[in-house]
Amino acid sequence: MKKLLPLLILIFPFLFSCSKEVKIDIPGYEEQLCIDGSIETGMPPIVLLSKSQDIYAPTNLDAFLNSFISGATVTVSNGSSTVVLDEICTDNLPAGSEELAAQLFGIPATELANYHLCAYTTLNTSVWGEVGKTYYLTVNFEGKTYTSSTQIVTPTNLTSSFWKPDGNSTEWGYSWASIADQANQYDGYKWEVKRINIGIDGQPRDAFFTKTYNPFFDDAFFDGLTFDFFYENPMSWDDPAIPSEGKGFYHLGDSVVIKLSKVDEKLFNYYEKKFAQIQTAGNPFATPTNIPTNITGGALGVWAGFSPTYDTLYCVQ
Amino acid sequence: MRLLLLFFIFFTSFASLAQQKSTISGYLTDAKSGEALIGAKVYIPSLKVGAETNTYGFYSLTVEKGIYTIEFRFSGMSNYSKEFDLSQDVSFNYEMGSTEKQLQEVVISAKKGENINSTKIGQIELDVEKIKTLPAFMGEVDIIKTIQLLPGVSSVSEGGQGFYVRGGGPDQNLVLLDEGVVYNAAHLFGFFSVFNADAVKSVNLIKGGMPANYGGRMASVLEVNMNEGNNKKFKVKGGLGVISSRITVEGPLKKDKGSFIVSGRRTYIDLIMKAAIPDSSPFAGSGYYFYDLNLKLNYRLGPKDRIFLSGYYGKDQFTFGSKEDDFKVEMPWGNGIAAFRWNHQFSNKLFMNVITTFSDYQFSFGSAQDEFQIKLKSGVRDLTGKVDFSYYPSTRHKVKFGVETVYHTFNPSSVSAQSQDVVFDTGTPEMLYSFESAIYAMDEFDVTEKLKINAGLRYSMFQHVGPFTRYVNGDISTPDTSFTYSNGDIVKFYDGLEPRFSGRWLLNDNNSIKFGYSYNYQYVHLTSLSAVSLPTDIWYPSTDKAKPQKGWQGTVGYFRNFFKNQYEGSVEVYYKGMKNLIEFKEGALPGDNLNDNTDNLLVFGEGWAYGIEFFFKKSVGKLTGWIGYTWAKTERKFPDLNNGNVFPAKYDRRHDLTVVAGYKLNDRLTFGASFIYATGNTLTLPSSWYVQEQNLLFNYGARNSTRMAPYHRLDLSVTLYDKAFKKKYDEVTGETIQVKKNFRSNWSLSCYNVYNRANPFFLYVDNDGDFLKGDFKITVKQVTLFPIIPSLTWNFEF
Repeated sequence: MKKLLPLLILIFPFLFSCSKEVKIDIPGYEEQLCIDGSIETGMPPIVLLSKSQDIYAPTNLDAFLNSFISGATVTVSNGSSTVVLDEICTDNLPAGSEELAAQLFGIPATELANYHLCAYTTLNTSVWGEVGKTYYLTVNFEGKTYTSSTQIVTPTNLTSSFWKPDGNSTEWGYSWASIADQANQYDGYKWEVKRINIGIDGQPRDAFFTKTYNPFFDDAFFDGLTFDFFYENPMSWDDPAIPSEGKGFYHLGDSVVIKLSKVDEKLFNYYEKKFAQIQTAGNPFATPTNIPTNITGGALGVWAGFSPTYDTLYCVQ
Repeated sequence: MRLLLLFFIFFTSFASLAQQKSTISGYLTDAKSGEALIGAKVYIPSLKVGAETNTYGFYSLTVEKGIYTIEFRFSGMSNYSKEFDLSQDVSFNYEMGSTEKQLQEVVISAKKGENINSTKIGQIELDVEKIKTLPAFMGEVDIIKTIQLLPGVSSVSEGGQGFYVRGGGPDQNLVLLDEGVVYNAAHLFGFFSVFNADAVKSVNLIKGGMPANYGGRMASVLEVNMNEGNNKKFKVKGGLGVISSRITVEGPLKKDKGSFIVSGRRTYIDLIMKAAIPDSSPFAGSGYYFYDLNLKLNYRLGPKDRIFLSGYYGKDQFTFGSKEDDFKVEMPWGNGIAAFRWNHQFSNKLFMNVITTFSDYQFSFGSAQDEFQIKLKSGVRDLTGKVDFSYYPSTRHKVKFGVETVYHTFNPSSVSAQSQDVVFDTGTPEMLYSFESAIYAMDEFDVTEKLKINAGLRYSMFQHVGPFTRYVNGDISTPDTSFTYSNGDIVKFYDGLEPRFSGRWLLNDNNSIKFGYSYNYQYVHLTSLSAVSLPTDIWYPSTDKAKPQKGWQGTVGYFRNFFKNQYEGSVEVYYKGMKNLIEFKEGALPGDNLNDNTDNLLVFGEGWAYGIEFFFKKSVGKLTGWIGYTWAKTERKFPDLNNGNVFPAKYDRRHDLTVVAGYKLNDRLTFGASFIYATGNTLTLPSSWYVQEQNLLFNYGARNSTRMAPYHRLDLSVTLYDKAFKKKYDEVTGETIQVKKNFRSNWSLSCYNVYNRANPFFLYVDNDGDFLKGDFKITVKQVTLFPIIPSLTWNFEF
């Protein structure tokens, strides 16, 4: 059924004649805090804060980056240790952290100094991610308090991963994997990848992990089963070096690191709705979907715990 | 038991009154085809009393013994008068002849004075032959699109087949084809109706004051009757259109005893796509078509018995594939309806109709990509039995009573999926079984000359029976549980009384006031995840969790005719209250009901609607048509939606204006026009955006708080008929004479959306560009479906 919506999107252009921009009154805007926080095994918590914008608000780079806010008090606790996170801003970044900060905010490292963009994190390892623990987040901002919790669940490794050429092609194919899902428990998964074979610049082809088109899945259909499945190459779409017949595929000889993370059910619900909204935005066949946050107090966003495992795939027959 | 006693007292009282009276009864049929005439009038001018034929052409009129001149009238037919000696009961059947002149006129109904005299409020009968002269979208004559031009009725969306009546949802309309329920009355995702106009005889819409013999839906009844077939001679008619063609064959099984009609229709969209998409294309094999087939047989077993067998089968088939991606989708859906009816005339006052219908609607979706395959099915199947009696004790009373029961089988959603050899656990298909039954009685009677009342009572029952598995979903920390009902276990029982009442107060020959009240239970629901109607919408019965919808409607109207009934006007005011309405929870996604009950995803609320409707109609003359205007408001309140605040229904329209006109220039040329103006539909759009993990996300504002631009459109048509007569040399007289042609044809040119108005079909928020490049922007876009669309159809008949 979930395949039906993309299908209807595909066929609809055959039927309608045109679309045009209109200016129409959309009531109901209310400024809200957006919390984008995550923690994963062996890593510190990282929290970004921003404010929601009116649908007709300016959308240039300045407006986008100025939606991030600072001056909040952010606390993370694992039940036994409680730490107030440090506010680290782009205009006073520790040396060597520019690339990471640029990736976090999605802007070139050269632009960082032009903006006052802040993230909240800590070097105190007592609240870094550990499997099996629950992490509590508290954000105090402008007199309001927002709280949330997330769990780092026990990870599940892939049984195997392999590559095989698609159709008649001999050099392009999807990444395949086999997973043995654990029976009688809820299992939610997140799939990310990066290619580590060296590019012409002498660097690994991808510096960071990238999510696939629909990176989250759970075991509603396959609880306790072992089966093979495939995923596309999400980096290929914007990679000018990959010809059209190779879009979506890995090339023979690619080396791919697969990062498979486990998530709890509440988090899966958030991401399922989030990707449903991204994929169905503008589709009249879809229900307008507000994404169900796991944060109390009236904020948008998510506080997410991940427990990743890694697997390296060499794309050979 | 009390009800039975009531019936007994009721009918014995009529029997004692009837001793000094005589009855004339019989059947009125069309002299040309032998078709039963529905709604023909039998009138005694000296007594100013009359009767009307029922759906099967039967009439019964009981008066004081005496000699009377009786008139027989029917729209488009020559009136017939005859003197009868009613010192004893008389049985009289008559075949009425048509007048060519009247047949070509574009009118809704030519029952002059009917709208003043009857107790019918909120009811409109459409003449199919007249509908055919109105502008048709892509050349397809469409009954439902014509209904959407009536006051109080609005379309779901541009081109859509779903319709909303006085603030009710599309599932609140009972659509009947020869008494079989039609669950999905649309082809091609809603752009065309399943009703092939060539096979349809009559259309009756009841939008208020629903009589007690109808039930199961809250808003309206759309009763469509198929042609019976010509029992005099064989006839063929058909049409060649832009996207489809149709053909109908009818004729006698045995002359004047029985007849048949077979009618088929098919689109060529798949053939056009096949020609347009070369075999080398990755999309070769993609296509769409629909077809439908109507069949009807009838046979007179004797003067008092007649049987009918009706069938409809229609299917839509959508196929989409991409060889490149090894991806294929097949999506078939369709209705199948079969109805068997037996008419028996117990006496000249008591008419019985026994009905058995089978109705089936199935939707399927299958997708395969590489080794992964998924198949989804949903559907509903009904088996119905009904016995309906019409009893005519005197001219002052017309009684109907009966019983009916329906066995429903629902399959809201069943999924199977596999990857290579691994079959996924998609849960047990959710099948739901239920019985819906009713007993009813109603009497239309003249209290005084001025006051006429139709009072009825319907008692309905609903049983949800096993097998059934109830899933109880825990929260994050509580495990889900389930418990099972065995075959035949009663899961839930509902029942209720549904009083129905309508009346007419005659002010004078040209003015009347009418009023109506109806209370309805609705035990089946249509749930939709999308903003537009789709074949994927799910029919779902009442369960222990989903209670029956309940609604009441009160209507008051003033009716007036002008210039010897040439013009008819009316104003109707209504208020409607609705309880236990259902919607999906906010954020529900397709597939969430797997390993679960669909009703766990539903939320429940109430609604109300009110409005005023103006209707002005010209029925005779060269220029005919109507003007309708509706001011209406319809709102909903769900504790679990929109933070519990009241919100407008998605089809809440404040203003709705329609103008329909037909002009007959001469016997060969007819013009048609229709214009519609409506306040834009409501919808929910995001009121703000925010960013998470560099993804732009939207936050939606209040439900249905945005209103689209107004909708307006003008359609025009012109129909050119061939000459009805041909010249022939008469060898006997040596003169050239005119002979009526056996083969008749016409060209019908329609133009949809003449001034190319870009009407909104839906709006969406689009984002495009790149923040870093400085060209990122968020815009609201309006999608327009149909520009100006001319179409040409050639129709023939011989």
